[in-house]
Amino acid sequence: MKIGFFVGCNTAFNRPDLEQAVRYAFPALGVELDNLDGQSCCPSFGTLPSVDKVGWCAVSSRNITLAEEKGLDMLTVCGSCYGSLSEAKYKLDSEPEVKAKVNELLEMAGREYKGTSNIRHSYYYLFNELGPDKIKEKLKYKLDGLTVALQPGCHSLWPSKVYFDKEDDTFHPRILKEMCEALGATVGHYSRLLDCCGMGALRSTDMGKALGLVEKKLVSMKEEVNPDLIVAGCSSCLIQFDTAQKILQKEKKINFEIPVLHYMQLLAICLGADPEQVAVLGETNVKSVIDRIREKQ
Amino acid sequence: MSETQGALGVVNLSAGDPNLVGEIKELGGEEILECIQCAKCAAVCPMVLAGFPFFNKKVIQAILLGLREELLEDASIWACQSCNRCTEICPRELNPFEVVQAMRRLAFREFALPTMAINGLKSLYDTGHAVYMSGAGKSREKVGLPEKPPSTIADEKALQELRTIIRNTDLADLGIIPMGD
Repeated sequence: MKIGFFVGCNTAFNRPDLEQAVRYAFPALGVELDNLDGQSCCPSFGTLPSVDKVGWCAVSSRNITLAEEKGLDMLTVCGSCYGSLSEAKYKLDSEPEVKAKVNELLEMAGREYKGTSNIRHSYYYLFNELGPDKIKEKLKYKLDGLTVALQPGCHSLWPSKVYFDKEDDTFHPRILKEMCEALGATVGHYSRLLDCCGMGALRSTDMGKALGLVEKKLVSMKEEVNPDLIVAGCSSCLIQFDTAQKILQKEKKINFEIPVLHYMQLLAICLGADPEQVAVLGETNVKSVIDRIREKQ
Repeated sequence: MSETQGALGVVNLSAGDPNLVGEIKELGGEEILECIQCAKCAAVCPMVLAGFPFFNKKVIQAILLGLREELLEDASIWACQSCNRCTEICPRELNPFEVVQAMRRLAFREFALPTMAINGLKSLYDTGHAVYMSGAGKSREKVGLPEKPPSTIADEKALQELRTIIRNTDLADLGIIPMGD
């Protein structure tokens, strides 16, 4: 099995430990990664998608053609990348006039969008292509006794019509939960599970309001689950939950800290990766949790 | 509100811009007239929870009323997370997110832009990444990765390819960012 790894800006520059986690976990599970050399930004929603539809789809499709020419699907760990690429692909595949205009632009770069590659999200791909049981067989460490709270992230769920990997009911998602349970975690439910974390455009526009959203979520998690760890399904959510807690502590809005990892980081650790490579660039104290996991061998 | 007459908050309906709906339809909000203002989109919108004055339902309402200036003067549309909860739940299948996106596109054409939008586009054109951190090489090497990811940052030919494409989009016509080689 092989898939093209679309790294994305935030993962490459802000949290390369997450990039390294993907580069460890997929081969460890028997899935080879292609670099998709020459990839660019997806592009993120605040850039070309906010200027015009054809420009958006042209830059997205240039990225997609990198996978198409190798006959591969594309893998993302970032919700924005997954959303932007999937929405562009949906438009290209359902609106022939958009596809025609985009291909005129791509021709200038010697490319053509065909529509032969699918956009996949990290843990959905693993769930659907390998399944939890095969993953369980490869684990070096298990999370038995560890309680986690989930942050699935907006773009892994909505709008469901554009995504290749689907939940049965997007307002009651279960895949991330089952993937965490496969690692041995106890997953607690909390009432604000589906709330947005406030990262992205909202945070760039109004930091105070964005912190208000993540504070609501953190308090809900703490009161209803009291987790050892937050598991995010999206790199933007990872960054928001990881960086907002120190600020909220300083502002005396919260008096606790919950370590945060992306699912792929947690998986890589359970598969035996070096934590100094796959989970070391965050602000929250993930080391204490990782030490607990690794002691349990 | 600039076109308000009489008591505060009263909107003079005849003073609205009748062309606004048509422009929004042209810019990607094709289904806007399907809206029945049921507010299911508002019920799931993070911007409502966060407390922004304009959000999907109200943006649509203001467009239908032709309130161009009011919309352009408020930065709320730039806080849209593109999360598409609204698209998922809309009983009229009108894609409220696409209407907000169309309103952003209109704002671009009126140069009513936040600096972050310009910075993101400039970074995208210059490096191929909307989010680029020039000091990231050190943390990449710390975790055992090459200094640069396998992207336009490490591939001049790919960057030129991307720039060629961007130079032929609407962004170039708008002249918002410099586009050199």
